[in-house]
Amino acid sequence: MTQTISRRDFLKLGATSAGVLALGQMLPPKVAQAARDAGHLNAAGDGYITSMCEMCVWRCGLVAKIQDGRVVKLDGNPEHPHSRGKLCPRGQSGLMNTYDPDRVLTPLIRVGKRGEGLFRKASWDEALDMVAVNMLKIKEQYGPEAMIFSSTHNLSQVQFENLLYAFGSPNYGTQRSLCFNAMITAFLLTYGVEEPSRNYDNVEFILMVGRNMMEAISTSETGELARAIDRGAKLVYLDPRYTKTASKADEWIPIRPGTDAAFLLAMINVIVMNELADCDFVKQYVIGCDGIRDEMSRYTPEWAEKITGVPAADIDRIAREYAAAEHNALAHPGWRTSNFINSFQTERAIATLNALSGNVLTPGGCLSTEVAAEGAGLGAPSQPPYPRVSALRLDGAPWKYPLVPLKLGVFQELRNAVLTGDPYQAHGWFISRQNPIQSLPDRSKTLEAFGKMDFIATVDIIMNDTAWYSDVVLPEASYLERYDPLLPVGNKAFIRQPVVEPQGEAKSALWIYKQLGERLGLGDFFQYEDEEDYIRQQLEPLGVSLEEVKEKGYAEMPESEHDGEITFNTPSGKIEVYSETLKNAGFSPWPTWEEPPFPTADEFYLLTGKVAQHTQFGTQNNQLLHKYSDEPRLWMNAKIAAKLGIEDGDWVEITSPVGKAHSLLLATEAIRPDCVYLTPGYGHISKGLKTAFGVGASDSALHVTYTDPISGGQALSQTFVTVKKA
Amino acid sequence: MTEIKHHAYLFDATRCIDCRACMVACSVENNIAMDKTRIWVAGIGIKGEYPNLERGSMVYHCMHCEHPDCMSACPVGAYTKAEDGPVIYNPEVCIGCRYCMNACPFGVPHFDYDKGIIDGAFIDKCTFCPQRIYNGQEPACVQTCPTDALEYGERDELIVKARARIAAHPDRYIDHIYGEFENGGTSYLILSHIPFNELGLPDLPAEPISEVSEKVMEMTIPFALSWGAVLSGVAAGVHLYNKNKEEKTAAEENTEATK
Repeated sequence: MTQTISRRDFLKLGATSAGVLALGQMLPPKVAQAARDAGHLNAAGDGYITSMCEMCVWRCGLVAKIQDGRVVKLDGNPEHPHSRGKLCPRGQSGLMNTYDPDRVLTPLIRVGKRGEGLFRKASWDEALDMVAVNMLKIKEQYGPEAMIFSSTHNLSQVQFENLLYAFGSPNYGTQRSLCFNAMITAFLLTYGVEEPSRNYDNVEFILMVGRNMMEAISTSETGELARAIDRGAKLVYLDPRYTKTASKADEWIPIRPGTDAAFLLAMINVIVMNELADCDFVKQYVIGCDGIRDEMSRYTPEWAEKITGVPAADIDRIAREYAAAEHNALAHPGWRTSNFINSFQTERAIATLNALSGNVLTPGGCLSTEVAAEGAGLGAPSQPPYPRVSALRLDGAPWKYPLVPLKLGVFQELRNAVLTGDPYQAHGWFISRQNPIQSLPDRSKTLEAFGKMDFIATVDIIMNDTAWYSDVVLPEASYLERYDPLLPVGNKAFIRQPVVEPQGEAKSALWIYKQLGERLGLGDFFQYEDEEDYIRQQLEPLGVSLEEVKEKGYAEMPESEHDGEITFNTPSGKIEVYSETLKNAGFSPWPTWEEPPFPTADEFYLLTGKVAQHTQFGTQNNQLLHKYSDEPRLWMNAKIAAKLGIEDGDWVEITSPVGKAHSLLLATEAIRPDCVYLTPGYGHISKGLKTAFGVGASDSALHVTYTDPISGGQALSQTFVTVKKA
Repeated sequence: MTEIKHHAYLFDATRCIDCRACMVACSVENNIAMDKTRIWVAGIGIKGEYPNLERGSMVYHCMHCEHPDCMSACPVGAYTKAEDGPVIYNPEVCIGCRYCMNACPFGVPHFDYDKGIIDGAFIDKCTFCPQRIYNGQEPACVQTCPTDALEYGERDELIVKARARIAAHPDRYIDHIYGEFENGGTSYLILSHIPFNELGLPDLPAEPISEVSEKVMEMTIPFALSWGAVLSGVAAGVHLYNKNKEEKTAAEENTEATK
């Protein structure tokens, strides 16, 4: 039998890591005692504790097996709707994040030059004082807006935002513009909801536009899709690359990159010109019903064929099949949808297709816009009102980008504003659990922006690339070692609780932000004693004790009342296929075709994507995931590679307008001839990541910064590169 | 949970997304060293020419054969076949001869060069997670599978389930459950959309290889005895012939001498 993972790959790690699972420490009294009191652990300290995963943002429920004070196994929590008893490879390997030999276990203060990697250990008091003194100095000298705060999508984000708003800076860098701005902005404008939920129970026809669900795994949803396919639902999948999702699809359409919107507009054309839509629903709930035929008449399948390379007959047939499935059809909204500057229009077309199928709010329909307000029903510590912020945001939202939601922002433009100093110069950067050096396009620019900073502090569990370039590194407890605020899912609020005591001096984000807040004179904004007190305050309105939640893993919340009336949180209260808001901002009120740039004959589209074993830039140092993932490579169509005289396994040099990178080549049939694809997340430059350093190449070193003027999304597939044998 | 009389796995290649959650789960559950694994991925990878492509992968570990070749090849009885399914390896008994590695038609048992002779555990392979299955849990690889490509249960019931799946989607599956009969049956059953030999599975007769070899081995002593008898006969014949010849020659010499 062939082994696709060779023994040699395993040997690379060798004996140094063999004993790593034994590196955990004996469970000190606090966590163990609490777990014993809750009945999780026996007298010997062995047993099971329920908590929540953090290997990606899906946040599955987990059950940790504890033996001799160490986590020895994680299983999916059957009671959690995101895991249903299962975990993906990342979730399964989560304990190696905690037991990573490269963990930062004490606060560190830089002693060498930035990027040299020379730090000295410091006490929490010294490190926190240093961060606070520098932040206050910047505030006094340049105003609070000269401090940038950035953090992404974690459960303690609410307290991170608290720190930022209390400090008074408008400059909030999330990584969302590198991810899903196009999808969120489009669905907010069309449905008044950020991200509609999907329901696969009755789905018959699924259209996925680059949503690689079988590799970008969301455990429960990936399982639901697999079961729907198993049941016989049809999956049509658009992607320039033959991904694992493509291999499970009934139809894989290797569409020309950047032309998804043309394909989708032509589908809308077929549906409205032939009156195939759910008319009753559309008339009642959709704005734009009247003009849509006139507006869409030009987007014929023949027109789309020329742009997309997909035969008109196929587009026509797929549109009819989609319409025939009525409200059991689902055009999936996607997730990381920032690919081209027209990606917003792609998402608007997807939103429109769903509106036409009438799948929204139909009982059992595939798309639901009923979203429980975040944290509704939970208590929160009281706090004074935030100071008024008058400075413009550096990222241009909303003064340059009027439709970009403020909590998404335009991260890449924030970085650019640091470089230009326009409209003012930023001087400090406080970063928590984020790695902008690897995530932002055009890495050399990001490093240059770091060079302009008077002070940089980073909170993380390992020495990621951004921590490596920081002045102070604050060690956070891993997700298996700390509390985070409760997470409501449906009518339950789930808890993340420590299953082992933190290693070294690592502390929770809730603790770090509070300590820092107090040193910044913002103590009133952090009115909780400790993490447990914070959660007790959250639980207060529910009348549930922390002990009960710790034992069960969740607290029941009252069902939100629904009066049965269907309204949407848009200006008109209806689904806005036609949007006055867009029109007033100077954009097309209809989903429309915007031509993206195309590469020249000797250039390739540089595609990015996902592998099932990694999450963004944060997991490459996890030794278990390193062990079980394929070696990162640049994919190129085998025939093109042959033409260029490059063989599978050769080293190649990839050149973009902003940088160069070197990679091993994978010559494969599984990609369009005009594209190359680089395994994402690799090419780390921090030598503090001993497993990941020097492995693979970084597409951030190659990406050109292109911002979609409507959604603020970074066009991540719009960089064109040349490739030659290295 | 009802008591399982014959533990077995069912793997469905049409559902597998090659995410390797099973491999990580097994490594953690069984505390496997970083340079080893008890589960492998095999298959065709990507086949065909752009854009007409096909992908097929399979994960496999010990097949827990009904008539294990490793067991019949083992000279010291380090392998046993439990009545309820698992093929169990006993490192206490093993002498590290590696006959099982040659005997297994699936290439499953691996020699542990690190532990070698000193620690005594020579061979590494799937244990069927006894610590889980006898405590009401599924094996680690099965429980975590996000797409239910791996399932676990009573062997007979899994075969019924697999048949029903083929019947419901005859266009999707090859009409065969690998392991139902191969090599006398295995406790790791496989459904696939691509030919089993392309997944890397050997074509094996329903008659277990071990039984063939055992039948042969059973003949060894009678064969040796009869062969010994034949050889003894020949030897005796030759001896007799030579003796006669010598006597004759001696007689002739005597005759000549008397001439």
